[in-house]
Amino acid sequence: MTTLSLSLAVLGMPLACFVLLALAWPLRHAGRVAGWLSAGTAVASFAASAALLARVLGGQGPLTWTVPWLVHGGRTIAELGVHVDGISASMLAVVTLVAASVQVYSLGYMASEPKPDQGRYFAWHSLFIVAMGGLVLAPDLLQLFLAWELVGLCSYLLIGFYWTKPSAGRAAVKAFWVTKFADMGLLLGLVVLYGATGAFSFEQAAPDPVTTLVPALLFVGVMGKSAQVPLHIWLPDAMEGPTPVSALLHAATMVAAGVFLVVRAYPLFEAAPALLTFMAWLGAITALVAAVTAVVQDDIKKVLAYSTCSQLGYMVAALGSGSLLGGYFHLTTHAFFKALLFLGAGAAIHAVHSNSIHDMGGLWTKTRASAVLFIAGALALAGFPLFAGFFSKDLALEELAHAGHWGPLGLLLAAAGLTAFYMTRVVAIAFFGPPSEKAAHAHEAPATMLLPMAVLGLLAVGGGLSGGTLAGLWGQPYHFALTPVGIAATLVGLGGIGLGVLRYGTRSWTGDLLPGLRAFILSGPVDRFWLGAWRQGLLPVARAVGWFDRYVIDGLINLVGVAFLDAGRRVRALQTGRAQDYVLAVLLGVVAFVAWGVVGGAG
Amino acid sequence: MSAFPWLSLVVFAPLVAALVLLFVPAGSRSTTRVVAIASTLVSLLGSLRVALGFDPAGGVQFRERYPLIESLGIALDLGVDGWGVSLLLLTSIIIFAGAFATWTLQERDKEFYILLLALVCGVFGVFVSLDLFVFFLFYEIAVLPMYLLIGIWGSTKKVAEAGPFRFLFRLLDVGGKEYAAMKLTLMLLLGSAFILLGILGMVDAAGGGSFSMEALASADLPRGLQLWAFPALWLGFGTLAGVFPFHTWSPDGHASAPTAVSMLHAGVLMKLGAFGVMRVGMVLLPEGAAAWAGVVGVVAVVNVVYGALSAMRQSDLKYIIAYSSVSHMGVVMLGAATLTVDGWNGAVFQMFAHGLMTGLFFALVGLVYERAHDREIGNMGGFAKAMPAVAVFFTIAGLSSLGMPGLAGFVAELLVFLGAWGGPMPWWALAGILGAWITAVYVLRAVRAIFWGQGPPERYTHLHDPRGPEWVALVVLAGCLILFGVAPRLILDDIDVATGEHLAPVTAVAAEQVTP
Repeated sequence: MTTLSLSLAVLGMPLACFVLLALAWPLRHAGRVAGWLSAGTAVASFAASAALLARVLGGQGPLTWTVPWLVHGGRTIAELGVHVDGISASMLAVVTLVAASVQVYSLGYMASEPKPDQGRYFAWHSLFIVAMGGLVLAPDLLQLFLAWELVGLCSYLLIGFYWTKPSAGRAAVKAFWVTKFADMGLLLGLVVLYGATGAFSFEQAAPDPVTTLVPALLFVGVMGKSAQVPLHIWLPDAMEGPTPVSALLHAATMVAAGVFLVVRAYPLFEAAPALLTFMAWLGAITALVAAVTAVVQDDIKKVLAYSTCSQLGYMVAALGSGSLLGGYFHLTTHAFFKALLFLGAGAAIHAVHSNSIHDMGGLWTKTRASAVLFIAGALALAGFPLFAGFFSKDLALEELAHAGHWGPLGLLLAAAGLTAFYMTRVVAIAFFGPPSEKAAHAHEAPATMLLPMAVLGLLAVGGGLSGGTLAGLWGQPYHFALTPVGIAATLVGLGGIGLGVLRYGTRSWTGDLLPGLRAFILSGPVDRFWLGAWRQGLLPVARAVGWFDRYVIDGLINLVGVAFLDAGRRVRALQTGRAQDYVLAVLLGVVAFVAWGVVGGAG
Repeated sequence: MSAFPWLSLVVFAPLVAALVLLFVPAGSRSTTRVVAIASTLVSLLGSLRVALGFDPAGGVQFRERYPLIESLGIALDLGVDGWGVSLLLLTSIIIFAGAFATWTLQERDKEFYILLLALVCGVFGVFVSLDLFVFFLFYEIAVLPMYLLIGIWGSTKKVAEAGPFRFLFRLLDVGGKEYAAMKLTLMLLLGSAFILLGILGMVDAAGGGSFSMEALASADLPRGLQLWAFPALWLGFGTLAGVFPFHTWSPDGHASAPTAVSMLHAGVLMKLGAFGVMRVGMVLLPEGAAAWAGVVGVVAVVNVVYGALSAMRQSDLKYIIAYSSVSHMGVVMLGAATLTVDGWNGAVFQMFAHGLMTGLFFALVGLVYERAHDREIGNMGGFAKAMPAVAVFFTIAGLSSLGMPGLAGFVAELLVFLGAWGGPMPWWALAGILGAWITAVYVLRAVRAIFWGQGPPERYTHLHDPRGPEWVALVVLAGCLILFGVAPRLILDDIDVATGEHLAPVTAVAAEQVTP
C-alpha cells in the first residue's frame, strides 16, 4: 500500500463504520455486534497508522494530497486532504492507539447498557476517530478547524450520551457553548489570516499589522478546547459522559487538539513573542489553579479532569517557552497515562457503582490488577522517576528554565508537588482507605477492560523512551540529563507523594491546610463568574431585545395599521347618507373648479 | 441555447397542475396528492436537468424568449445564470419536500394545493426571469397566495399583551391567523410598491423602451436615479428578506402558517427578497449599491445579532425558528453588502443552505406540532424517546444553522465572514461570528428542552416518528444539507462564475468612488 492509501484507510475505515451504523439501524440496534465492528475498525485504523508511522520513521518524506473544496473567482482557496509527516503520523498513531484501547475497553464497560444505546455510542466513537484523524492529518488551518468543530460535536454528543439525565444534558450543552464561544476567536483568526495572506497555511505567518492578532485569536480557540483558565469550566462538567469517553476525548486526544494546533501552526505563533510569553504564564497559572482544585475533589473523575486541565497547562507553558518538543512530548505521554487513569477509574466506578473515592475504599484487595495499573498511571502523572511523565515533565520544565521564564517555572514546580499529592490522596483513599460498603462486593473488570489498560500501562511506564524518536521529528537530539531544575522537580514530586502518604495513607498527620481556601474552591469561583455574565449579561439583553422587538418595533407597525383603520373610520364620517350633504359637496366642488379656472385663467 | 424549453417546463408545470386540480373533484385525496406531487417532481427533475446541463463557463443559459407586449418592450424572457440555477434547484427541492410534508392535511386540501402550486410557479418565475416586468409579475404571484394560505389554513396563537402598545393588540386581534395573514400581505405589498417605483424609475431613465435586465445593465443609468432607486429596491425586496425593522411580519406569519407554507415561505420566498436586492438592486444599480453598501451592511449586522437575540428570548418553537430566519437572512444581506467575491458567493450559498435548513426545521416543527398540539418548548421534554428520528433530523438542521462543518450552513457562513473582513467594514465579520455563537445558544437550548431529559409527560401519548410519505421531506432535505456541506462545489462553482460576471461593474464603480 502506498502512504496515501494507508492514511486514507485510517480515516476511511471508521467513516465506513460510522455511516453503516448510522444508516443500518438493525445493525446499530444489535448492540454488541455494532461494538465489535466499531472496535475492530478502530484496531484496524491503529494498525494502519502504525504502519504509516513506521514508514515515516523509516525515512519517507512528507506527503500532501488534497482535493479543492472552495473556490473564489475560479481559483481554489481551500482544500481538503491529508498531510503526512512525522508530527501528524506520530499524533495519529497516539490517537488511534488510545481510541482502539478505549473502544475495546468500552465493549466491557458498556455491556450492560441497552443495545440501541450501545450502537449509538459506538457510532459516535467511530465518527470521532474520523474527525480527530482529519484534524491531525489536516494540510492547512481550515481543515483543522473543520475537524476541530466536528470533534467538538462528538464531544457534545458523547457527553450527552445519557440524554435523559438532566445533568448530562446541561453538561453537554455547556461544553458546546463554552468551546464554541472560544472558537469565535479561532474562526475570526482564520478570517483575518485569509484576509492578510489569501490562504489558510500553517507555515506562512501573517504580515504586519496582524502578525500578533492572528495567532492571538487562534489561541483563544486553543484556550477553549484545551481547557485553559478561565475557559476550562466545561471540562469538569464533561465528566457526565461515560468514563471511556472521558478517557479518549476529555483527557488523551480531543483536549490536546489545542496544543496540537499550536505545534502545527507554530510559524504563526513564533512571530508573536509577546503571545508566547502570555502562553507560558497562562499555562503555568492553569496548571497551578487546576492542581489546587483537584486536591479538594472527592469525585475520582473530577480529580482526573482538573488534573487534565493542569497537565494541559504544562503543555501550553512549554510551547510558550518556544519548545515544541517539550509540549508535544508531554502531550504524548499524557495521552497514555491519563487515558490509563481514566480507564482505571472506570474500572473502579464499574466495580462500586459510584464516582466517590470514599466509596471505593479498600479496592486494592478486590481488584488487584486494575489497582496496580491505576497506580502505575498515577506514578507516571506524579512524575515518579523513570515513569513516562517524569521525562516529559522534566523536559518541559527545563525548557522553561532555558527560556528564562522563571515565574511560570515556579508555578509549575508548585503544581508538580500538588499533582503528586492529589494522586497519592486518590490512591490512598480509593485503594487503601477504610473498606466501604459499596466496595465489599466489587469484582475485577473483565478481560476486555483489563487488556487495553495493560497496553496503556506499558506505555505509561515506558513511554518516556519515545523522547528520542519524537525529538527526531524536529531533527533535534534528545539526551536525558538531570539538571538542577529536574532534580528540584523530582524532589518536589517525591515530597508531594510523601505528604500524601502521611496525610491520607498513614494518617499520622491530619492537619488541614487553609480550610477557607477549600470552601472557596469548592464554591467554583470561575464558574460563578461566567454564570454571572450569563445571567446578568446575555440573558437580560436577549430578554430586552425580544421585548423591544415584540412591543416596540412591532407595536409601531401595528400603530400604523391602526392609524389607517382610524383614518378610514374618520373619512367614513363624510358618507352621511343625507342628500343635502352630497349636494352641498357638489356645489362646493363646482365653485372650487370655477374659482380655479378664473384664477388659473387670470394667471 | 437549449432546444427543449426546460425552464418553461420547470416554471409552468406547477401552474398546469394547479389548473388540472381545478377539475379534480373535491375529496379525492389521493388524486389531489398525486397530481400535486407529480408536478413538483417534474419541476425537480427539470431543475436537475438544468443544473447538470449548465455549462460551467457561465453566462445566461437555457434562454427562451416569447414577446408579450412589443410596444413596451415586455417579453417572457427566461434564462438562468449560476445564481438562478442554484436557487431554481433549491425551490424545486423545497416544494417537492413540502408537498410530502402536508400529506396529512384534511381540510380543503384541493384548494390548498392549487394555491401552493400557483405560488411555486411565481417563485420559479422570479429566479429565471430576465425581464423586469415579468419578474415583478411572478413576484406578486409568489406573494399573494400567502394571504389565503395563512388566513384559511393557518393556526392561531394566544399572545400576552404587554408593552406601550398593548391596546393595539386587542384592536387588531394580534395572534390570530387572519391578523398574521393581513400583516404579512400588507407589509409585503407596501414593499412591492417601492419595488415597482424603483423598476419604473430605472426603465424610464433607460429610455422606456425595454424592461430587459440586460438592456438596463448596459444602459448606464444616471447616478442620481441610482442613489434613490437602490434604497427603494432594497427596502421593497428587503421587506420580504426580513430586513430590520421590516421583519416583524415574519414571526407572526411563519408561526401562523401551515407547515408546507412555512417551509416554502422561509425556505424560498425570503430568498426572493434577497435575490431581488442583489440581482436587480446591486447588479443593475452598481453606483447605488456602492454608495449604500455601508448602510445595507450595518442593518444586516443588526439583523444577524438582533434576530439571534430575539430567537433566544422566544419559547414558542415556531417563533424561535422564525427569528432564526431573520438572523440568517441577515447573513445573506451581510454577504451581499460586502461587495466582494467571497461575500456574494457566500450570500447566494447561504440562500441555498438556509432554504434547505429552515425547510427542514419547519417540516419538523410541523410534525412535532401535529403530534403534541403544542409549540411551547417549556411544556416539552424527552421527546427523543418517542420520536428519535425527529430528534436526529432536528439536530442536523440545528447544527447547520449554527455553522457546523460538514453541513451546508457552514460553507455559506465561512464565505460570508471571509468576504466581510475584506469588505467596507471588517468588523462586520465579528458581528456575524457572534451571531453564529448566539445561534448555538438558542438552538442547542431548544434541542435540549424538546428532545432531551426525562420521558414525555403523560399528556403527550401520541408522539411517534414520521410515517410513510413524511419521511421523504426529512430525508431529502437533510441529505441535501450534508451533500452540499461536504461537496459545496456542486453548486459553488456555478455561483462563483455568476458572481464574477455580476460583481465586475460594481467593483469598478466602488474603485472609482474610493479614488475619485
